[in-house]
Amino acid sequence: MAVGVEERLDTWVAVAHTARRRLPRVKDVVPYALVSPALLYMLALLGYPFFLALYFSISNASVEESVGTFVGAKNYANVIGDAQFQKALLDSFIFTFGSGIFKAILGTSLAFILLRRFPARKVIRGFLMLPWTLPVALSILSFKFGMFDPQFSVVNWVLAHLGVLHPPYPNWLGDPIPAMIAVMTVNVWRGFPFSAIIVLAGLTSIPPEIIDAARVDGANWWQRWQKVIVPMIAPILFVGLTFDVVFTFTDLSVVYLLTNGGPINATETLPTLAFRTGVLGGDLARGSSIALFMLPLLVVMVVVMLRSLRRRDI
Amino acid sequence: MAAATGVLVRSSGRPRLSKKTLENVAAYLALAFFLVIAVFPVFWMLMTSLKADRDLVNPTTPPFWFQQPLTLDHYAYLFSATKFLTWLGNTFTISTCVVLITLAVCLPAAYALARLRFFASDHIGIGIFLSYVVPPTILFLPLARVVADHGLFNSKWGLVMVYPTFTIPFCLWLLTGFFRTVPIEIEEAALVDGCNRWQAVLRVVLPLSIAGILTVAIFAFTLAMQEYVYAATFVSSSPEKPVTLGVVTDLIRGDVYFWGSLMAGALLAGVPVAILYNFFLDYFVEGITGGALK
Repeated sequence: MAVGVEERLDTWVAVAHTARRRLPRVKDVVPYALVSPALLYMLALLGYPFFLALYFSISNASVEESVGTFVGAKNYANVIGDAQFQKALLDSFIFTFGSGIFKAILGTSLAFILLRRFPARKVIRGFLMLPWTLPVALSILSFKFGMFDPQFSVVNWVLAHLGVLHPPYPNWLGDPIPAMIAVMTVNVWRGFPFSAIIVLAGLTSIPPEIIDAARVDGANWWQRWQKVIVPMIAPILFVGLTFDVVFTFTDLSVVYLLTNGGPINATETLPTLAFRTGVLGGDLARGSSIALFMLPLLVVMVVVMLRSLRRRDI
Repeated sequence: MAAATGVLVRSSGRPRLSKKTLENVAAYLALAFFLVIAVFPVFWMLMTSLKADRDLVNPTTPPFWFQQPLTLDHYAYLFSATKFLTWLGNTFTISTCVVLITLAVCLPAAYALARLRFFASDHIGIGIFLSYVVPPTILFLPLARVVADHGLFNSKWGLVMVYPTFTIPFCLWLLTGFFRTVPIEIEEAALVDGCNRWQAVLRVVLPLSIAGILTVAIFAFTLAMQEYVYAATFVSSSPEKPVTLGVVTDLIRGDVYFWGSLMAGALLAGVPVAILYNFFLDYFVEGITGGALK
């Protein structure tokens, strides 16, 4: 990690510690009284439901059978053996990591462009961030009824007039592979501005002298990126990556609204399968088991994040 | 001699100049490329919302511009034939309540985490922040039960109850950071001047953190306005829907899509959120990356 960053971090931690030391002590109950509303709210509406999900997954609870009885790991066994689930699991990974690569490439390129000075920078940045700042449930309508519409697809119109596509044109949301490309495209479209600002935050934190020094020493742009910039902004990249993986892997809106998992389960991911099974199908037990298969990846991500967060001494 | 130097300077200077120009041109082209990608779908919505129906369903003409005169019919339909205003009102009510709950719960906790030392304080802070990554898609089934148990199923108040679970973690994290930036000396001075601890917080720390508190309020507001998954799970009766859900569900009747009005509703509901969020963006990035850098 960079010297400058470490130093700043140390000062900040030191300030926080003195702050706590110098103020007069309060009665022991006070801090707990102050923290408890937040803590209780989260326990009641996040902790309790979480355990309820665990319970659902080992019971036979459904919308009609609201309490359910204990059935052990039966749901999990059933779910694992189900071909539809296996497909959804695989698709979730393809969806998350496939679109992740493109978000990383596009986001990093955009970050380097945003690093430059150009007129009306703030306004242009605002427009560039639109995919991220618009509610995705709404912006997706443009893709469903514009870009990827079976009859009036703008994408097809452009590609056909450029001579790239020839009839029969792909039915983006109606054919399996185009549908997967379509949901990934929307995810990339929505996410690349986020990747860009995260990388940009990293880039602006590097003192320019360090890059110049590397340049003087004869490092080309790839070496500067690989040997200087990436190691310095690695912590920030990790956090950004973690958030992106978590948000994408567990995302329901894009797939649900665009293809609803179809055609013929071609774009089914764990969240859509859990939604269809649990909410629309009313099978709470099976739906919860499916949803909980997202947990292992989340735990890994949380551990990664904890390591980065420890630097902030909360 | 002088002439020779001049030639030398020119011959070594010219390629460098043109390389820089080339770099600039490439950068602007790339910027334009990104701008088109980012804005085009939104521009498309705007155009669709203003196009006459006959224009919308004519695949032979270039789709990028108007072939028929512009019309506000889709907007008129949105306001007269759907519950758009009710949905907007619901979203506003929900988001405002969520902001109030979030602040009421987070302000004391953030102060405690920023300034007081107590057992497990570090773990509580980090624990609450990490709950931000627990996704709605794991929780919507059990939460539906919890919401129903409180008799709030199919009601906007159910959403008011649930939304703070994703606003509290991030807002608490940000507020703690803001409180830490208030210089400790100011609080000490207030204590020396005869304030008690409570007065010092109320009259000195809070007014100084007002920018931070407003930021957090805006963030919680936009997060609540953007939500879709819980709304789709818990609410199905039209007059209780928030606008994100209402536009997406109620303007599609069977196989009939009200394209123009769909896009009109999406724009009217989405653009204010985007503008609010844009103001908040830098703080969001700082909140996310704060642990790793600053």
